[in-house]
Amino acid sequence: MSPYKNQVGQSIPKVDVREKVTGRAAYIADLSRPGMLHGAVLQSPYAHARIKGYDTSKALAVPGVRCVLTGADFTEHFMGAFIKDEGPIAIGKVRYVGEPVAVVAADDERTARRAARLIEVEYEELPAVLTPEEALAPGAPLVHEDLASYVKVFDAKFEGNAFSCTDLSEGDVDKAFAECDVVVEGTYETQAQYHLSLEPCGALAEVDANGRVHLWSANQSVFRVQANVCESLGLPMSKLHSMTPKVGAGFGNKMEAHIQPLVVALALKVQRPVKMILSREEDFEMVRARHPFKIRIRTGARKDGTLLAREVETLLDGGAYADDSPGVLGYSLLMARGPYTIPNTRCFGRVVYTNKMRFGAFRGFGNGQVAFAGEQQIDEIAHRLGIDPLEMRLRNAMRIEEPWFGGQQVNSNGLAECLEKVREKSGWGRRARPSRPGVKVGYGVAACAHISGLLATSAIVRMLEDGSFVLSTGATDIGQGSDTVLTQICADALKVTVDNVVCATPDTDGSPYNWGTTASRVTYTTGRAVAGAAEDVGRQIKEAAAKMLNCPVGDVELRDGGFIGVKGSNTTLPYAAVAGFTHWASGGPIVGSKSLIYDAPTIDPRRAVAIGLPFTRIGVFSFNALVVEVEIDEVTGKATVARAWSAVDVGKAINPRLVEGQIEGGIVQGLGFALTEEMVWDGGRLANPTLMDYKAPGAVDVPYEINSIIVEHPEPDGPFGAKGVGEISLVSVPAAVANAIFDAAGVRLHKLPMTPERVLTAMLGAD
Amino acid sequence: MTLFLEPRTVAEAVACFRDHPEARCMSGGATLVAMMNAGLADPPAVVSLRRIAELVGIAPAADGWTKIGGMTPHRVTAAETRLAGGQAIVRLAAGRIANPPVRNMGTIGGSISFSDPAADYPAALVAADAEIEVVGSGGGRRIAAQDFFVDWYTTALEPGEIVVAVHLPPAPRAAAAYEKLVKTEGDMGIATVAAVVEMDRGACSDLRVAVGACGPHPVRLRESESDLIGGRLDADAVARLASRLAEALDPVDDVRASSDYRRKVVPRMVARAIATARARAEGEQ
Amino acid sequence: MRGDEGMTTVALRINGVEHSVAADGRRTLLEVLRDELGLTGAKRGCNQGVCGACTVLLDGRPVRACLSLAAACAGHEITTVEGLTEGNELTPVQQAFVEHGAVQCGFCTPGMVLTATALLKENPKPNVAEVRTALSGNLCRCSGYRKIVDAVVAAGGAR
Repeated sequence: MSPYKNQVGQSIPKVDVREKVTGRAAYIADLSRPGMLHGAVLQSPYAHARIKGYDTSKALAVPGVRCVLTGADFTEHFMGAFIKDEGPIAIGKVRYVGEPVAVVAADDERTARRAARLIEVEYEELPAVLTPEEALAPGAPLVHEDLASYVKVFDAKFEGNAFSCTDLSEGDVDKAFAECDVVVEGTYETQAQYHLSLEPCGALAEVDANGRVHLWSANQSVFRVQANVCESLGLPMSKLHSMTPKVGAGFGNKMEAHIQPLVVALALKVQRPVKMILSREEDFEMVRARHPFKIRIRTGARKDGTLLAREVETLLDGGAYADDSPGVLGYSLLMARGPYTIPNTRCFGRVVYTNKMRFGAFRGFGNGQVAFAGEQQIDEIAHRLGIDPLEMRLRNAMRIEEPWFGGQQVNSNGLAECLEKVREKSGWGRRARPSRPGVKVGYGVAACAHISGLLATSAIVRMLEDGSFVLSTGATDIGQGSDTVLTQICADALKVTVDNVVCATPDTDGSPYNWGTTASRVTYTTGRAVAGAAEDVGRQIKEAAAKMLNCPVGDVELRDGGFIGVKGSNTTLPYAAVAGFTHWASGGPIVGSKSLIYDAPTIDPRRAVAIGLPFTRIGVFSFNALVVEVEIDEVTGKATVARAWSAVDVGKAINPRLVEGQIEGGIVQGLGFALTEEMVWDGGRLANPTLMDYKAPGAVDVPYEINSIIVEHPEPDGPFGAKGVGEISLVSVPAAVANAIFDAAGVRLHKLPMTPERVLTAMLGAD
Repeated sequence: MTLFLEPRTVAEAVACFRDHPEARCMSGGATLVAMMNAGLADPPAVVSLRRIAELVGIAPAADGWTKIGGMTPHRVTAAETRLAGGQAIVRLAAGRIANPPVRNMGTIGGSISFSDPAADYPAALVAADAEIEVVGSGGGRRIAAQDFFVDWYTTALEPGEIVVAVHLPPAPRAAAAYEKLVKTEGDMGIATVAAVVEMDRGACSDLRVAVGACGPHPVRLRESESDLIGGRLDADAVARLASRLAEALDPVDDVRASSDYRRKVVPRMVARAIATARARAEGEQ
Repeated sequence: MRGDEGMTTVALRINGVEHSVAADGRRTLLEVLRDELGLTGAKRGCNQGVCGACTVLLDGRPVRACLSLAAACAGHEITTVEGLTEGNELTPVQQAFVEHGAVQCGFCTPGMVLTATALLKENPKPNVAEVRTALSGNLCRCSGYRKIVDAVVAAGGAR
């Protein structure tokens, strides 16, 4: 065994990396069961229509077809993270083009797909609302007539198609604006972005002879899958065993349900295993996407650059089902002040139903949209006052003792260091000016904070007979490397190397509860539980060792490499001896556990007023500053990012290389959001549901030189001081690019993505 | 059920289409198989040209023309340094098609037979004054590139005819520049401009400019080009040609860009393409 | 010329082994690899040839398995990620992916590894720009590409 060193802080290769580089890692589409059938879905051709009837006879007549289910085969049960408004399939009416209307199980995928197209559905088309403005118009058709009667998990404010309205304010905004020397105001618009997890969604369900359902699916939480399937099909949770294969990335689209309820329904009906894998087009059309935002925002400051007031109003397109929308709305308002001291801030927002696919969680969770608006206004004010934009941010950056907007205490804050680091590393003070003919060069900066936290999690650590350990958390590793990070935390807490700890695959039968791999939360929240469970195990090891050595517990300690030592002496016992003792002689096998829920209040009612906010305890804060160098082709207006410097305060980097991977990946996904990606609708139909027509950046479209800078201001209760990094690096990107475009070309873009067309039009307008 | 046929000679291929008039022709497969996967094509038979050795390769002819076999992969065309002078426009365009794996699969004959106006070859071949050699049951013929690309996804090919070669006329003293505006590298163009310029002691002795991705087929204005022959390609003259080209376009609004933007950006791209080609032409003199 | 009934038997040489598979003329190589032969390293990411997750090598060159009709691949040497090594060994490219943290979700990884393998055979010491161009047809949504590029450059030994 190699000499032990601390496992936390090491860039250890991912624990599953060999499986992945050899192609042996099994994702949902790679799984197979004996006698397995294949599912296919029929999607709605209408944005809004009443279903009058079905004729499935032609589909059932296709050789190899085993089962067809339509809305008529389901009773009304509803799921939804915040508002229970969604069944497993369209029942009674369809609410968007692409919505599942019927499903087929057949001997092979091609047959299932062919049969699905033969199902005849009679529709009566209804008037549709395709934009939030249409949905809010007086007399607009209602997407959900029964909104009032749906179960809601928070005190939702709703009216008509607006299913969640939220107010959040602090200070006296009107008075403060009157005191401002400079006020900037504008409206901003952001587009729908597709997650494009490279693996399309899919599921495989099998019913055993006892009637239990075993379900594998692409997911970000086996427990959310269990809850959604059981709620939407009216099953007791004990009947459903939810598991995960390897997951080909998430970014938010696999957190709540996709087709798992439909696949389970098919398997229950045919009593054979059924697998369904969405095509890329189906994945585009019926999973979920990033909310389009419209943002009206006003920011004011004193002549010296001190920010005094901000007012924000947002309008979100929620699509046909509520999904995570109330959360995205509330969170976007909580983030809309930015990481600055702005004592007077008032935010109001609404999210409305439309006859489009649902919009939901996507890396950034509304923060990138409001940052695009707010961070441009910080620059505008700096420009008006002749203050360097980075200096402007430093002057107004929240100090460590200051609470977040709404009143939550912030216990670690590395924002100023992030800003200083990107200033230094990017050479901000001596940044170059336009250099080549035909190319305009500019630099932009943006800053943000993002939370990690939310809700419940738990961990169990068991000592095996030979002194090695099994860690179970129920947290799905979606590729970001949480299995590795949690293994490192567990190993370090027990002073063993990672090869002495195995991280169990999530499984609702065997794993303790974990809300999900979302909200940048696994390292921080689950990491806390793992550290706690490992500590529990460490305590039990010491107790057993003390018994073996016949000494007080206080005299023994854990030593590097998996030993118990007697303090002040060379006497040691290997863990294996302790494990043998507990398994075969005394005390019983060692099992440690820890359960927790994030519980620091978001709102301090003495400071802030919050109405309709769907969460009360959100999480701890990570911070980020980003500088980008943008080049604009003067001929076409095409903007590209040549270099980027991103500093993120992650508290403590448990695995620095994986942290860099999150920063780099977030920036590139943010560049797609900023520059090239846009879901476009033609009426109610998505016009570009293919990778031919929806363009995410490839290797040559993004800078090679993405400089990740890790800043570590430890979170007091984080595991080893760690806090989250999963989402934050994306948030600043559109704003930083927009600010760099202004620096290069003197034009402000208020609409995403910042296509060549929009940039050139702005440049020609400015000439 | 789809029949899969693999003729070994052009004559066999022609016979296949005679026997199976509903068959679809496959060269690299990138477009046809993608359509089949998407349910947009379900041909009863596929005739693959991949085993026809005589269709592969690039060969200079004694008279200065260059022949590119219809089944020559984009990778080979993109790397062919003998495609020099004005003929280089085809090499430059080939190098911007999709991405390396697709350039390994796709062929010039297959690409142009599909006649996607946003593809790279159409404008390049029109600017190159290329001729397309096709063979069918009625024998062979050569079609000028300008006449080959008829409409959106429509060529001058008669049913059963296949592209056997692309012939490029000599232009040894000219130079080429290819401008392609894309959302992301490898995507279809928002607009493309293929320019071939020859200079003779400061005066323009040959000029050919074709615009792609802005309407049903490439746009080239020979008469307006000829106005610039003998002149010095000054900015005003180039701008006149560029704006006439922009007026002649018939662009659409699509998910890549608006028609307005295409009209706005094309003259700017034309000016740069001509300037680049000119600099290359003069640098080589 | 073959194929009287449409369904023919195709002899495919995959990872050095001859396989005889029944293939309707429209069956893709990807379908045969995954559904028939259990070689699931090649992934169906888009089935349109854009994402690159299905990349395999045909006579040493990267191609899209989803756009390759199986019947058209007879007589060619097909290499999938499963064929790169035996047992639990890793190739230098795979080893570099491990060491540089070039893998996140792993769904693009087999295609990336094969594309990089082909590049290094043709150009043993590619620079950053050459690697980026070679990988430009393989989408990765997780990594931001940097660590993949670094891994391939390092596997080639250039810097």
